[in-house]
Amino acid sequence: MSAWPEASVDAVARLRALAAGLPHVFLAECVLDAPFERVWEIVGDLERGVPRFETSVRSARITAREGERLRLETRHPLGPRARFEVLLRPGLCVMRARFADVGMAAAPEPEGGRTRLAHYEGTRLLGRLAWPLLRRNIAADFAALRRLL
Amino acid sequence: MSEVLDALLPLVGRLCGSIALDAGPDAAQEALIAVMRDLRGLRDPERLVPWARRIAAREAIRHARRARAEPRAEGALAELPAPGDPALASDVRRVLEALAPEQRAILVLRDLEGLGEAEAAAELGIALGTAKSRLHRARAAFRARWSS
Repeated sequence: MSAWPEASVDAVARLRALAAGLPHVFLAECVLDAPFERVWEIVGDLERGVPRFETSVRSARITAREGERLRLETRHPLGPRARFEVLLRPGLCVMRARFADVGMAAAPEPEGGRTRLAHYEGTRLLGRLAWPLLRRNIAADFAALRRLL
Repeated sequence: MSEVLDALLPLVGRLCGSIALDAGPDAAQEALIAVMRDLRGLRDPERLVPWARRIAAREAIRHARRARAEPRAEGALAELPAPGDPALASDVRRVLEALAPEQRAILVLRDLEGLGEAEAAAELGIALGTAKSRLHRARAAFRARWSS
């Protein structure tokens, strides 16, 4: 630790910065009426939690794990599979597949008992053309997550 | 991308925390967003750290200016505290609060980051003579407050 002041950068701020480097992703945020631990219990559980609220994932399976690096295979409700390289740490999940990027981050709100959740999705094939669809998908994800909390 | 972000976080956090103080988290976030947004345009990977440092320092100054008025101070010579002593943290912060954002920036780049005069001047986009006089005033102000 340094005696000089250091600025903290929480997981949501990190996700915003990552999204800035991915021009095809659409990022949205919401504030959930639940503590961080409860939110991340669901969002950070890729196999059992994510399929319960993520509209584009019917099932997910971790196929490899090394520390905070994972490989995840997901299946879309319409059938297609995707294989993601994942960085997973408390409050932050960054997923990258051949044509898709997904990111999720959570951080406690200052007033306590509430949590800010940021979520991006993007497809490199369609770029910003997919944004209207992604906007609806992410809004549906947030709504599903609220119902679970 | 996330590897680059992880690698730059300590540097950006140090610069923005010491220059922008309370506005440090906002400055750090905007600096990181600017870095990640423009990363593809960086042709020479060797330039990543100096480039990010320049963005962070300028973003920190901008946020610090916006956050508060700039006090001016002059003073006598004394030793600067070394990084790594947590007991000094609150004292360092108290002293830095009395400096103008531009003074904090040159002090941090020279005495915390260890840059040379010319390099620090270039990163802040100011003339070498300006950097020298600003550093002199910053050190004097810092030492005066530190020993008071």
